[in-house]
Amino acid sequence: MHFVGVPLATLLQVGALAGAVVVVFYILKLRRRPVAVPFEKIWERILRDKEATSLFSQLKRLFSLLLQLALLALLLLALGDPRPAANILEGRSIVVLVDASASMKAIDVAPTRIDAAKEEVKRLVRGLSGTDRMLVAQMDAAITPLSTMTSEIPDLEAAVAAIRPTDARVDFPRALRFAADTLHKLSSPEIIVVSDGALGTSLAEAASVDLGNVRLSYVPIGTRSKNVAITSFSVRRYPLDKARYEVMLEVTNTNDEPADVEISLLGDGQLTDLTNLRLGPKERLPRFYPNLSGASKNLEAKIALAGNVQDDLPADDRAFALLPERRRARIQVVTTGNMFLEAALLLDEYLEVTAVHPSRYPAAGAFDVTIFDGVTPNVAPGSGSLFYLNPNGENVPFKVGKTIEDTDPQVRLGFDELDEKHPILRHTILSDVNVARARVLEGDKEDKVIGKSHKGALLIAGRRAGVKFVALGMDVRETDFALRISWPMFVLNVINDFVEEDVQYISSFRTGSVWQIPASSAAETATLTLPDASTTTVPIKDGRAVFLGQHAGFYELSTGPGETGSFAANLVDASESDITPTKDLVVGRHAAGAVGEFKVGVRREMWIYLLAAVLAVTAIEWLTYHRRVTV
Amino acid sequence: MGVLEFLGIRDRAGGARAAARDDDLFDDEFQRKLEYLAMVSKRVFSGAMRAERRTKKTGSGIEFADHRDYAPGDDIRYLDWHAFQRFDRLLIRLYEEEEDLSIYFILDTSSSMGFGEGQKLRQAKRLAAALAYVGLANLDRIAIVTATDEISGRMPTTRGKARIFRIFRFLSGVKADGETDLGEAMKTFVAQHKRKGLAVLLSDLYDPEGFERGINVLRFNRFEPYVIHLVDPRDGRPDVRGDVRVYDCETGAEREVTVTAKVLEKYQHAYDGYLDEVQRFCTTRQVSYFRADVDASFDELILRVFRRGGFLR
Repeated sequence: MHFVGVPLATLLQVGALAGAVVVVFYILKLRRRPVAVPFEKIWERILRDKEATSLFSQLKRLFSLLLQLALLALLLLALGDPRPAANILEGRSIVVLVDASASMKAIDVAPTRIDAAKEEVKRLVRGLSGTDRMLVAQMDAAITPLSTMTSEIPDLEAAVAAIRPTDARVDFPRALRFAADTLHKLSSPEIIVVSDGALGTSLAEAASVDLGNVRLSYVPIGTRSKNVAITSFSVRRYPLDKARYEVMLEVTNTNDEPADVEISLLGDGQLTDLTNLRLGPKERLPRFYPNLSGASKNLEAKIALAGNVQDDLPADDRAFALLPERRRARIQVVTTGNMFLEAALLLDEYLEVTAVHPSRYPAAGAFDVTIFDGVTPNVAPGSGSLFYLNPNGENVPFKVGKTIEDTDPQVRLGFDELDEKHPILRHTILSDVNVARARVLEGDKEDKVIGKSHKGALLIAGRRAGVKFVALGMDVRETDFALRISWPMFVLNVINDFVEEDVQYISSFRTGSVWQIPASSAAETATLTLPDASTTTVPIKDGRAVFLGQHAGFYELSTGPGETGSFAANLVDASESDITPTKDLVVGRHAAGAVGEFKVGVRREMWIYLLAAVLAVTAIEWLTYHRRVTV
Repeated sequence: MGVLEFLGIRDRAGGARAAARDDDLFDDEFQRKLEYLAMVSKRVFSGAMRAERRTKKTGSGIEFADHRDYAPGDDIRYLDWHAFQRFDRLLIRLYEEEEDLSIYFILDTSSSMGFGEGQKLRQAKRLAAALAYVGLANLDRIAIVTATDEISGRMPTTRGKARIFRIFRFLSGVKADGETDLGEAMKTFVAQHKRKGLAVLLSDLYDPEGFERGINVLRFNRFEPYVIHLVDPRDGRPDVRGDVRVYDCETGAEREVTVTAKVLEKYQHAYDGYLDEVQRFCTTRQVSYFRADVDASFDELILRVFRRGGFLR
């Protein structure tokens, strides 16, 4: 037995003092109150029998004193907060990781898996022993501790109540690392994972986390996995006909049985297309909706099982997308005349081209992009992003090296190395472009070299003070580049890259990742309106608002009056849509065991029982005193 | 001092001390009622003066009693000439002589009578005053003595209704103090009062030496004892709980007792038993006994209980 409250020595001192006081008061109480009576002889008559039981009377007095001393002893013991020695040793440090990923929204367990998980955690909390300490954390794309490491039941219950499911996948390695770090050097460490086990690829990644001697326990949630999901949903405008767009949708059947699915496509809430199709077991089926047109801006896809049957995870039955905004890009071309360049710019009707002679630069107005063709004047305000063609070495944000020529017939001058994944090289083939003369470009360390010959970089891209630039170190008229179909594609790719009119299938963000949302580079913060209409302030770095989004739906980003943009976010994660629950959890070499030692309703703090005993003894004393059993 | 003032109904302080239940208890209306009541006794005593009571004596009354032979020296006015004519004998007519009655009010003034709020003594004084008034109205001789373990006070024998105020004054000065020993006190009383009569004992009979002794002294000395037992219900149901040291308010005798509900119940039984014992003693010895509850209505006590018991007519 150990005293974790008031020390034993102090208790003994206080006990001796208080005991003495009790005895003194008791002796004082024994001094009888004198009461006058009119005729003592009548009392004498009744007390003749009474005197025979005086020994019993003495015992009753002693019993009363003993009761009061017992009360005192119980109170002092309660103050000492005694714990059994075994209980002291058992004190555990527990981190409960509650899976709050999208799969926990499944309704195979009524009402949802996350609610079932919360109930399980509550049960654990109530079953904590007196010396156990617990921390409750929510794991999704991030890890959010909801309480401190505490043994206070109300705090832990409040933490459980604060758990909210998200539309994101779970970052299990991060959560595990957090738990392991939290439990570092704590006694009897234990991690309890409360999850459906649908952790996707992150489970394998978690194998690298060093758990040391931390015990891993697992509370499985979920019973079945009847689910079909939208695992991809994108929309894009056609690069050369921005009035039209196409939608790509991918649906996945995570079941082992075929499923009949009804797919609805809605534009601004109006049904645009309705398709029924049959998915085989575990089948992923992409579907394209080409040549769509209309004024719709918000696109939404819905799937439902045939027969109006709901699957177990409604969260992935909807997906959202926002059609890229159509607008004319204002292009300023500073050139003495370049037919190939002007021809390329004519191909896109959504370009508003202003050609200006170098001597008249800058032209009136503000531009999204300025193309410097063979000239490098001082960059005037309002020039937008900069596209240098054949820069000569002055007033440029990079160094222009020596002129190189195609003189060696064995090694022809051209693009020997290309970053073909770069957006400005999309749909182009530059590897066999012949170049007669070029200039080597040398950017800063953070600039990106996109095309490079054996003699140096020829095509670089970068950013200076938030202004993007691309530089091509050659005159296209001295190459056969201008004769190829890649040339106008290249020019339009550069312009699209500048004006953020992305022609890739990125019309929505994916939940659970850090989003870099294009925003005004002049602002430092922006106000983000979430799908649930709540707002939050997000920082802007290098012209992009940074935010970890965890909920699907339409968002709105505002950097000021009139500067509001919208975007959509979707779960679209096949691994997260696979909600098959697992009964066992194995992390690397650690196989998670079942939780034990949580007995609901059994508190191991003895002081509670001692106080209850004090109350009981007080009640007995009160009753017996008023019934004159004790005195 | 008037009757009402004596009874605390119209005192100089404005009657504030008078209890509501005592209001109009001894007012003029009640006085008139009392005047029609006559005190009776079961026995007839000889008296020194003519009054309204028949005695065994034959004398100068108006009610015929008997004849006897004439003897020389008899008043010839009482010769029955009709009898002489019929029987040719000289016979003297004898008349029942009506005499006055001596009534002694023996008021116990021991400390127990003043116990608590002194209601027993107060009630006893009122009863004595009321009965004395009745006696005076019937031309009886009234004397009042106060007794503890001796005769502590005495109001000499008096007659006539006008003397009632003297009685009131006497009673007003009576205080409860001293121990009870009715036996000794009655011995003194009978020694001091040779003329026999009614001895109305007003007492709570809390006599450590035994209540019987005092009554027996009166009986054995040819007084007719009337016992008016003053009873305060609070004596039988004391408001006491817990560990106490009870002491007798007269003798100071102490006794430690733990008063529980059970003990209280026993005490009440013992107290009731004591009252029954007193009543049984009086009844078996043909001593008139009246239990006067201090909480009972004074009017009720005087006009009904006493009358029903034959004390008043």
